[in-house]
Amino acid sequence: MDLLDNLALGLETAFQFENLLYCLLGVVLGTAVGVLPGIGPTATIAMLLPITFSLEPVAALIMLAGIYYGAQYGGSTTAILINLPGESSAAVTAIDGHEMARQGRAGPALAAAALGSFVAGTVATVVLAVFAPPLARAALQFGPAEYFSLVVLGLIASIALARGSTLKALAMIALGVLLGTVGQDIYTGTPRFTFGARELYGGLDFVSVAVGVFGVAEILRNLENEKTRTAMVRRIANLWPSREDLRRIVAPVLRGTGLGSLLGVLPGGGHVLASFASYAVEKRVAREPERFGHGAIEGVAGPESANNAAAQTSFIPLLTLGLPAHPVMALMIGAFIVQGITPGPNVINEQPALFWGLIASMWIGNLLLVMLNLPLIGLWVRMLQIPYQWLFPAIVVFAAIGTFSLDLNAFDVYAVAVFGVLGYVLIKCGCEPAPLLLGFVLGPLLEEHLRRALIISRGDATVFLTRPISATLLALAVVALVVAVLPTIRRKREEVFVEDD
Amino acid sequence: MTNLRKPAVRLFAAVAAVSLVAACAEDGDTASGGGADYPDQNITFVVPFSAGGPTDTVTRLIAEPMSEELGAQIVVQNVEGAGGTVGSGEVAGADPDGYTVLMHHIGMSTAPALYADLGFDPMADFEMIGLVTEVPMTIVARADFEPETLEDLIDHVSENADSVTLANAGIGAASHLCGLLFQDALGVSLQEVPYEGTGPALTDLVGGQVDFMCDQTTNTSGQISAGEVKAYAVTTPERVESLPELPTTAEAGLPELEVAVWHGLYVPAGTPDEVVQQLSDALVVALADQGVIDQLADLGTAPVPAEDATPEAHRAKLEEQIETWGEIIADAGVEQS
Amino acid sequence: MENRRSLPDVLSGAIFAGIGLAFVVASLGYDVGTLLRMGPAYFPLVIGGLLVVLGLAIVVKGLVAGEAIAFGAIPWRSVVMVVAALVFFGLTVRRAGFVPAVFVTALLTALASYRIKPVTAVVVAAGLTVLSVLVFIVGLQLRLPLLGPWLTF
Repeated sequence: MDLLDNLALGLETAFQFENLLYCLLGVVLGTAVGVLPGIGPTATIAMLLPITFSLEPVAALIMLAGIYYGAQYGGSTTAILINLPGESSAAVTAIDGHEMARQGRAGPALAAAALGSFVAGTVATVVLAVFAPPLARAALQFGPAEYFSLVVLGLIASIALARGSTLKALAMIALGVLLGTVGQDIYTGTPRFTFGARELYGGLDFVSVAVGVFGVAEILRNLENEKTRTAMVRRIANLWPSREDLRRIVAPVLRGTGLGSLLGVLPGGGHVLASFASYAVEKRVAREPERFGHGAIEGVAGPESANNAAAQTSFIPLLTLGLPAHPVMALMIGAFIVQGITPGPNVINEQPALFWGLIASMWIGNLLLVMLNLPLIGLWVRMLQIPYQWLFPAIVVFAAIGTFSLDLNAFDVYAVAVFGVLGYVLIKCGCEPAPLLLGFVLGPLLEEHLRRALIISRGDATVFLTRPISATLLALAVVALVVAVLPTIRRKREEVFVEDD
Repeated sequence: MTNLRKPAVRLFAAVAAVSLVAACAEDGDTASGGGADYPDQNITFVVPFSAGGPTDTVTRLIAEPMSEELGAQIVVQNVEGAGGTVGSGEVAGADPDGYTVLMHHIGMSTAPALYADLGFDPMADFEMIGLVTEVPMTIVARADFEPETLEDLIDHVSENADSVTLANAGIGAASHLCGLLFQDALGVSLQEVPYEGTGPALTDLVGGQVDFMCDQTTNTSGQISAGEVKAYAVTTPERVESLPELPTTAEAGLPELEVAVWHGLYVPAGTPDEVVQQLSDALVVALADQGVIDQLADLGTAPVPAEDATPEAHRAKLEEQIETWGEIIADAGVEQS
Repeated sequence: MENRRSLPDVLSGAIFAGIGLAFVVASLGYDVGTLLRMGPAYFPLVIGGLLVVLGLAIVVKGLVAGEAIAFGAIPWRSVVMVVAALVFFGLTVRRAGFVPAVFVTALLTALASYRIKPVTAVVVAAGLTVLSVLVFIVGLQLRLPLLGPWLTF
């Protein structure tokens, strides 16, 4: 059978000692840089990319893929330990992951993330090997109208991210969407809300906003009452997940993997929805949804699996069609070109060793990652015992250097301060930061696809309903809205009675 | 890192003090720059676009042989933003000592027309070192677009000017400029569909969501040879080695459309002449390097002839291009930002 | 249901409405376009308007039936110090150089803690400076001068 031959070729390539070494090196470096606060996966890859330029093509791409997974895993670690997400998916992980850390359960949270990612990575590798070409073809059916409807569905599903007031969550989403409009309008080139600062033409940096509303705001809250905080983190309940924990994460990991594998294939922004969608689904199907937001291990395992699966399958458009699904993939395209490989649909035929070697190395990379990180959990958890007087200045300083380092742009550092204070005040008022980040990430996609769909349809707004996939997604969005609102209304009634006691 | 008791803290303080002193001493040694013994420290090549993009790739390709020739380490640094104007502004304001060099492409000549408050003057604030390469562009369409040849395309576009969609990779991108030239040559105004970068634009073209676009061979040749997109012509006077079947625009009946994404090296104005000359000489040597020639050929392009890799040729090219693009952009009614 | 005023609700609602309004006002400087052919102002105008509405709704709800949230004291010193630290870093890292910028930033941040002793703060700042140099300059090869033009002679 072809597939087996191909996989054999891939494994043979990936298991060459040198390639194995570069895979390991990539995973280690990616994790090491990814855990630094203020440096998200994209920045990590941009920083480490030049290292790979001097390597052989296969080794270079294998190492780069390793850096990518490592960076993502490292980012989740930071999100769980110090509530500092470096990308949108880690913001979801932070919701329950950091809550678990506060309860002394950082170990199980990290283990759930590692195990979930490994399972997801394994399944997604198989998906990639078996279904890559047809999935890529199917993904091309998604035009601007479909992506717009998908993002609408994602935004509505994300109301589930809020543990408190729905109204405030909606306002936070809207605020995030607005912040996402800062920068040059891609359709006209008009700089919006930049106050003439060219540094803002590219928009606000995600990491700056995330570090501000999560990291700095959290530090300020902790400084409100320093005594409770130090006492709190010294207590570590257990390092490993209990049997009960493991039982709880099985289904979320599998659902997350399926969801992530599908969404990752869509090059127009599907992968950013993966972890949010998984969280929303888990909260919806959970028997006790009120546990979410207060340290539910399912809320870590599901989104982490979804994210890793999507990270993996987002290679599908790149590998089968030479089309990058997101900025990280665009960097990979650059790496192809530097290596003298013309990215495109022919890579799979012209460079079978590279294609299948890369796929096989993805699985090996995930294996190395889990082998590397499970033993490290003890070390990470002990980092929480560093006296807070040392830890918080370290977070602020590293965040400042990290956000500054990518573009050497001082605005990215000022943005941390602005969003730190804004986030702090809003969080004190009972608002939650995760919906804001979701809006910030999805807002630009919403506007971009909306306007593009209308341009291409010559201003025919019915295009969203006449295209079948788009119409289906919008119908799902309506259902999701109804389902989201109904129980809230019902619960509100009950709450009113309960609270009046 | 776990239990920072007092001895550890004291050790930290000691190490800190020592390294601070060492840092001061080291920096004091290398503070001078420029002059007769150039280069005596690392040279930074600023690329105003993202790592891994076509311009970044070209820079890294020539940096290696140039570094050997100059006898100094060259560090490539990416300073992204606002169509390359952030990185350019940075180099314009850097010390004119030859240790900060800018690689920029055709965007240097369109920036004055596209940005109202540029903050630097491409002609006055830089010394030119030389041209590097001119990357050809290709006119490509979705695979099931009806026109079969460039002439068909011209007819089809002229007849259906209000329904055809023309994609580009963003305002000021090479694909946008080529699209403007195409519309200018045909005397039509088409529905432009901007994207954020070439990747998504090409994705929608392959997916059949938009009709056609014009982009660099670097980006399109893979899709062309796989038959995922339909190619009509290449926009340079000569055919491209990697796509020998593809006619030039002149051959296919649209000689007015001739454009290439030219790249050049710059240093801040006021850099000593002998330093500029040294860099230019190193560039000429690098462009004759067989490895560079081969790699550029893979990208569908070639080094410029040696006489163009000079400050004079580069200056003349930039001056002429600023004028040309100023008119085209003004005619097209693109708003300044 | 009894009336319950909630200051945090009113405050957050006002912040949302204020920011929304600011975006709406700023949008008016750009081209709005039409529904079918949106200009750069269209989308932020709509979302800004939505945020104003949501903000006002939160204010109203906060006046009638607000959430019970303990707002607590604001650690003014911490807020000022952390903001000052970040702004200082942005302003000086290029010109004063990496080492002085990081040292002062770390010192200011450390002083955001009410309980830290000045000596400890200096030690923390020095330690973090060394660590940052090792991680970012030595390890990640960040291209920044250790001492900038302000401090070289």
